[in-house]
Order: sequence, then structure tokens, then C-alpha cells
Amino acid sequence: MTTPAKIDLFQLHKAEYAAARKPALVTVNPASYLAIAGQGAPGGPEFTAKVGALYAMAYTIKMTRKFAGQQDYVVGKLEGLWWLADPRRPQVALPREQWRWTLLIRTPDFIQTDELCQAAAAILKKGKTPEAGEVKLEILAEGLCVQMLHVGPYERIAESVALMQTFAEGKGLVLHGVHHEIYLSDPRRVPTERLKTIVREPVTKR
Amino acid sequence: LSGKGYRPDGSSASYLHPGGVGHGTAAAFDKPFGRDFVGLQNSKNNQAPSPVIWYGDYVLVGAGCEPGPGKAGFRQAARAGDGTMKTVTLKDYKERMLRVLVHIQQRLDDPLTLAKLARLACFSPYHFHRIFKGMLGESVQEHIRRLRLERAAIQLKLSEASVINVAFDAGYETHEAFTRSFKAMFGLAPSRFRSDQRPLRWSRAPSGVHYHRGKKLQHFKTIQPGGVKMNVTIKTMPATRVAFMRHVGPYAEVGVTWDKLLPLMGKEGLLGGDTMFIGLCHDDPEVTPPDKIRYDACVTVDESFVPQGDIGRQVIPGGEYAVTTHFGPYNKLGETYAKLFGQWLPRSGREMGSTPCFEVYLNDPQSTAPADLLTDIYVPLKTR
Repeated sequence: MTTPAKIDLFQLHKAEYAAARKPALVTVNPASYLAIAGQGAPGGPEFTAKVGALYAMAYTIKMTRKFAGQQDYVVGKLEGLWWLADPRRPQVALPREQWRWTLLIRTPDFIQTDELCQAAAAILKKGKTPEAGEVKLEILAEGLCVQMLHVGPYERIAESVALMQTFAEGKGLVLHGVHHEIYLSDPRRVPTERLKTIVREPVTKR
Repeated sequence: LSGKGYRPDGSSASYLHPGGVGHGTAAAFDKPFGRDFVGLQNSKNNQAPSPVIWYGDYVLVGAGCEPGPGKAGFRQAARAGDGTMKTVTLKDYKERMLRVLVHIQQRLDDPLTLAKLARLACFSPYHFHRIFKGMLGESVQEHIRRLRLERAAIQLKLSEASVINVAFDAGYETHEAFTRSFKAMFGLAPSRFRSDQRPLRWSRAPSGVHYHRGKKLQHFKTIQPGGVKMNVTIKTMPATRVAFMRHVGPYAEVGVTWDKLLPLMGKEGLLGGDTMFIGLCHDDPEVTPPDKIRYDACVTVDESFVPQGDIGRQVIPGGEYAVTTHFGPYNKLGETYAKLFGQWLPRSGREMGSTPCFEVYLNDPQSTAPADLLTDIYVPLKTR
């Protein structure tokens, strides 16, 4: 008897996560994510609580399946979608307190809403992590994107985005989607100059 | 610990607080936007319910250990008459370790148990081995074996004793085992070594301690701190309540126990956003035989947790801990322990407590490359 191998979406979709220190084009297929939205400065109380809620849900769903002997998988990396500017006046940067974001963890397609609800109910019943109820299952279809690996502090991601923008323009493309970051390093201990982040910008023809 | 393979199936990745930068349009990037990154002070992590009982069977070194005045210049951190604290210095550590080294030289043929040697130096038997290795650069067993082989080399050159008798004297039961060890150390089989015309010599041990008959060992060298500077902080931890499953067996297999514990906890909704994943290490894998190593896979819980089946409950004692982060694969944890015990501790002015060390796993070994794994090592300190 063989048990099916553990699914690792990051490995399975390697091409979508390919990122070098220079911008390149990738095509990202529609994918399923656990998602939680919020507002405020990164590292603020809401942000911290919601990162916790997202992980609590991801591990509760995974472990419940594992206990039931269902297909096992690796919990994905933390990702984030960010809106920094006022959508009505895109030139105006918002103060940190008004930054809006959606935190994501990519999840296999076979995870369905009922498992999500079951997990949220289990966590809430134990009186843990009230934000768990806000986690949703969403599909994100980004299509053609410019992508690169940013190495260094988060404060300097703007420099990478500027490179990506120039690259896109050179190809007759414009950034048109929501800024997307995929966190490969753990900022709790990794020195900021070594932090690795995949930066993804959906693009479209000018 | 030389734990290999993976540890927790899940991780306290919930402590991951990446900042993020975002924008609605590219135009938002026209302005540099300062963004300080997320503080990592997880004071929340450190809060735990009040203690209940400490589960475990640790030998406290104390009574009967303190030698009388004048004995090898032994001093221990103690409350001085005026109520101020006396710090344990590197010199104290060295003096205590020197007594062990002298004893080994003088009693090379005795069965030298770790417990006995630890007692001589007034170290907790639980931690002695690591301090020894960290200070001397070799384990107690390696040290004893090396000295016995050095003595054997001298016998081969200077006496008429048969090789097999020299082997027996060195504690080997067979000619083959002796030859293998001897060759590994001196580069030649014992019989070749004996007939070789070159003078007796061997490479210098980092500690400078070699087999020496007659003259009493006066000093030794400790391994100097080198390489990347070790970042150690002293944290006061509250007592931490955990649910745990005990693993008895090789460290390399602790993942099996995590694989049982986490689904059971997860399906009950007990893996919350602030759950910590802790490995409580009751034994040193370099000392305890693999099949006897006790390790508790622990998950933080609140007071409402009820033990069930194989899952027990215990409280990790609060108090001061020396904490350092190990970067990289779990099978290299032993190197960080050795550095912490042998290089940092003797220079810290502190002594270790006798409760177990524990490890906090900061990321998920399933989705993290071994080189990127982060583990905080907590070493208990004696109250002063």
C-alpha cells in the first residue's frame, strides 16, 4: 500500500515562483488561497493578529485532514497583497495606518468551504484567535506578471518595483494589478539585508 | 542536539510578521515611503499561565557538592556576607574543569562515569557533558579514548608489551577495534607504528591536554570563541503550560511524534495563532543511547486543556534562560549547543540550572529549506 505523496504547491508550481534578481515575465494560473483582509501598518496589532489567524486556519485545516487520513500537503508560504495609495487619487500615498492588505496562504484546490467553516468553528470553540472566522477561501487569477526576487529590507521593495516598471515599459506593458509579495524569509531572525521576497506585479498591454 | 530530520509538522509560523509594501498604482511609488519593519518583540509569546507542577525527574546538584575551603580553589557563585552576588568567572569554570581533567589523567583505567566526573566539577550531570565538549573541543568519551590511545602509543614505542596487551590496557576488547582506532589517530597500524623509526609524536589537541604520566596537569586551553559572533540574550520566561507527547528513541525520529501530536491538536482547534512549538530535551543525544533519548513534543495550551490519551500536560518552569537562535538544519543544532555551553557560558558570569533545555521551532520544516530553518535554544540559568 502506498500513501500518496505530500503535495507541495511551491514545488509543484515552480515556474510561477521562479524569480531572479532581475525582473522577468511569468504567467500565473488561477490559484486557491486562504485569505484575510485588513488595514493598518505592517506589524501593528491587527496585522499581527491576522497573520496568526491565517496560520491557525491553515494548520487546523491541514491537521484535520491529516487526522482523517486524507491527502496531506505542505502549508504554503505567507503572501500579501498591498494597496498603499488612495484608489480615487492614486498619486497620493496613504499613511501607514490606512494601508490595506490581504494576507494569503496558497492552498490546494481540494480544500473546500465546508472544511474552512469546520476549522473556524473548532478554533472559535476553543476561544482561540477570534479573527479565524474572517479567513476566506479565494481564487486569485493574476495571469501575466512581472516578477523578481527582492533581497533586502522591505522598505526598499519600492526600488525593485521601479525596476519592474521600467522592465514592463520596455516590453510595452503596464503594471495594472495589485502589488503582490511572497515572503521567503522569516523577518524575526533573518537580518533585513538578507530577507528574500518575491515581488509580483500583474501587467497588461499598454 | 544532534536531532536530525524534521521537527514540528506545523510551526509557530504565526509569529512571522513580514511587513509588506503595497500600492494601488505604480504612481504610489513615486514617493519613497519609509516603512519601519515590524518589531519582533512577541511579548505575547512569553506569557503563560501560572505554574502548576513541573513534570520531570531532574537531579539538582547542590547539597554534598560544595567542597570544603581550599579544595582546588573552588569558588561558587554564592551570596556574599554583604548580600551582594559573586559572579562565576571563566577562571572558576576552568578550575572546576581542571579537577576533572586531572582526575581522568590519574584514573585512566577506572570506569569514568559522566555522573562521577560531573560531581567532581560540581556541574549538573545533565549539562556537564555539553560544557566539557564546549570548553575542550572534544567529548568526554573522545577525550578519555584519546588519552588511552596516546598512552598506548607510548607503550608501543617504549615497552616490550605485546600489541594485544597494549590494546587491552587501552580498553579495547579486540585487536581489530584497537587497530582501527589507533590508525585513525596516528595514521599507522600499531605494529607499523612500533617498528617505524620516526620519533613519537602526535598532533596537538586544541585543549593542549595530552597523556602525561607523573607531572600533574596544571592548565588547559579552552576553545576560543571564533567564527560568527554568538548572539545570546537572557530572557525571563514565565512558566509555560504545554500539551505534550513523549518521544523515546533517536532524535532523528522525533518527527514521527510531531506527526501524531499535531493532527490530534489541530482537529480540536488547539493550534491557535499564538501557539508555540517546543521541543523539551531531557537527554543529550551525545551521551544517552539513541533508543533511550526522551524528548517531549510540546504545544502551548491554556488552563482549559485536558490531557487525553497519549497527550499529557506539563509546565515548563519559568525563570531566566539564555537564548540564542540556531540558523540552519536541525542536525547541526549540536554545534550551536556546544558553542553556547563551552564558549558563551563560562564567560557569562552565570551557571546553568538543572532543568532541561528546550527548543522553540520558529518555522515549518516542511515548507522551509533546511538552511533557512530557525530554532531558538533556551538554556536554563541558575538563579543568583
